[in-house]
Amino acid sequence: MEQLLDFSKGPLFRLTFAIMVLGLARIFVLDLYEAYRAYRRAGDKTLPWKQITLRSLTWLFPVRQVFKNRPVYSVFSILFHIGLLVVPVFLYAHVILWKDDLGFGIPTLPYQWAYGLTVLTIVSALALIIGRAASRSSSFLSRKQDYLWPVVLLIPFVTGFICAHLGVGPRTYQFFMLVHILAAELIFVLIPFTKIAHCVLMPLSQFIANLAWKFPPDTDEKICITLNKKGEPV
Amino acid sequence: MRTKKITTEEREKAFKSLRKSEVNEKQKLHVRYHVEDYETNDRPRRFLEAFAAILKHSNYRLALEHFIRVSAKCSRCAVTCQVYQATGDEKDIPCYRSELLLSVYRRHFTVGGMLKGRLSGKGWLTDEKIEEMAESFWNCTACRRCNRDCPSGIDHGLITHLGRYILAEIGIAPRALVVSTREQLEGATGNTSAIPVPALVDTLQFLEEDMFEEKGVTIKFPMDVEGSEYVFFPAVSDFLMEAETLMGIAAVFTATGDSWTTGTGYFDGINYGLFYSDRMLERIVKKIDAETRRLKGKKVLIGECGHASRSAKYFLPAYCGGKDAYPVINIMEYTWEVLKNGCLKLDPNIVTEVVTYHDPCNIARQGWIIDKPREILKAFCKNYVEMTPAGQDNICCGGGGGTVSIDEIRPYRTTIGGKLKADQIRATGCKYLVAPCANCKKQLRELVEDQGIDCEVVGLHDLIYKAIIFDDALKVKTPDESEKMEKE
Repeated sequence: MEQLLDFSKGPLFRLTFAIMVLGLARIFVLDLYEAYRAYRRAGDKTLPWKQITLRSLTWLFPVRQVFKNRPVYSVFSILFHIGLLVVPVFLYAHVILWKDDLGFGIPTLPYQWAYGLTVLTIVSALALIIGRAASRSSSFLSRKQDYLWPVVLLIPFVTGFICAHLGVGPRTYQFFMLVHILAAELIFVLIPFTKIAHCVLMPLSQFIANLAWKFPPDTDEKICITLNKKGEPV
Repeated sequence: MRTKKITTEEREKAFKSLRKSEVNEKQKLHVRYHVEDYETNDRPRRFLEAFAAILKHSNYRLALEHFIRVSAKCSRCAVTCQVYQATGDEKDIPCYRSELLLSVYRRHFTVGGMLKGRLSGKGWLTDEKIEEMAESFWNCTACRRCNRDCPSGIDHGLITHLGRYILAEIGIAPRALVVSTREQLEGATGNTSAIPVPALVDTLQFLEEDMFEEKGVTIKFPMDVEGSEYVFFPAVSDFLMEAETLMGIAAVFTATGDSWTTGTGYFDGINYGLFYSDRMLERIVKKIDAETRRLKGKKVLIGECGHASRSAKYFLPAYCGGKDAYPVINIMEYTWEVLKNGCLKLDPNIVTEVVTYHDPCNIARQGWIIDKPREILKAFCKNYVEMTPAGQDNICCGGGGGTVSIDEIRPYRTTIGGKLKADQIRATGCKYLVAPCANCKKQLRELVEDQGIDCEVVGLHDLIYKAIIFDDALKVKTPDESEKMEKE
């Protein structure tokens, strides 16, 4: 058990973390490269930068959007995202690990805050699953991954909570810690290849949606040639 | 005049229009709108070929690649879509509609999708899927309201636009749009309403005489005047159906004295290419550019029409020279400018009824023209009321995206597409519903008729024509008056 724990804490962690970072960097760079190509080809290169910036910020911090549309679901969604971002990064137990590896630390969450936020994240995830299943429109749209993601994301939170706050025996502790680490590593690996990729692509969304409307000139002729439609009547 | 209300039964009957089965029989295609006869064999292969060609030569891959990664299926768009809100059919949720095309892209144009497809042996593009797309993409009014509420920034309007484009490449496009575009690009008259130039000249002369009788002022429609500041392209149907709007515009130019002209070489602002094919969009936009060049004009002036304005404003630079393309303005921007400068005077005692303003999606959604028409209206209408929501979040008239031109689906448009709009209009209790867009006007007139709402759908310049005050110097004097003036 201990060997397994060491392995998952050490080499496996580094490998999966690298997959996540490189995978996200890959799609981010690919997105930007495709945007660069599109921009170069576009006939009209003026973009509404102010509007793009404003709307990107609006959706990165969607406080004002909450009550307009699906308010309950939206509130839980925001709480869930806050929990997901804050707890793993600023948790004291995690920062210690970072510090050992990297040599510098970052501010950490007070104990009560970590406790509260973890519980809140767990509750929000459950609420999101229920909200998804209960709404006619979103249950119709949902794929398997849409239900599985909150569940998968919950595993490290629940196991971490058990280890940190429930004073379990050493063998149980080790078991839950192993599940905790392995689940987190599974998440790292999956992030770049699933919808969670939005964690790095979201800031580009408004820019890309606007740029995609900037058509290249003379596509008519090129497409006619490719499809062998030259001279064909309308 | 209050017409009969439509009962639920009638509504259902209208929706299950007989034509659906007729069309199916003839076309082997399960869509309500009429499509010209075309090859029904081998459709998936041809669809994918067209898709590949379009991806190669356009910028759509950027959006598709991004959207397949970020789509979170939160269904916020369901709440904003007026079609889904009216039908309650899950297949009308914008995100589902987009997924139809995104899944084809994922399966056939990404490595992961191809591998997954090969392994599972599923997910091929089938005939049934093409039929579903052919139906679905034309149920959408392309108003792009859902985009405003998508946390992932997915532009479902863009996906619908692309889906229609690919379908058009394999021959699936509403006959109404294709026939009009054919006349515009290849026909003898060169415009969508097939108006020959002599008929146009006659119509305008007739309007000039009319205006002289009504206003006592010589108001001209200048034709083919080279070197004018503005070359005017209204929705060509205005010449047949919206005389008052044109008269209002001519009156404004007479009051200000700026130079403008309509070209007899090409005088149609309509661009159905925006609704079904980028190739046609490009060809039509280039005709506007060529005519402006021929007349040595300085700016392109688009009449009261949402899609004509958008297709010129955003695609003239795209296809005709980027920064060097002719500047495009909408007539309402011009009128606002001259009203602000004090060149235009309007009588505040003429229009006393309740007036409300409908935002055409194509000019309001991106925040282009929202406040200017309102300021104009508030300047002379005592009883102006606002619809909610309005502006960038407005609700579509229900005939957007070219669907208004498809007469086969009028019952669909007036009972489903325009249901929320009808409720909005009723709530204002307006007498005049100002809709500065040829498509919105047609749809809203049919909507108020079918839904039994007592109001009149007008253009902004129709009201301006009623209220405009001319300088005395412009008025034609009687012989007595002229003598007096000379003596003084």
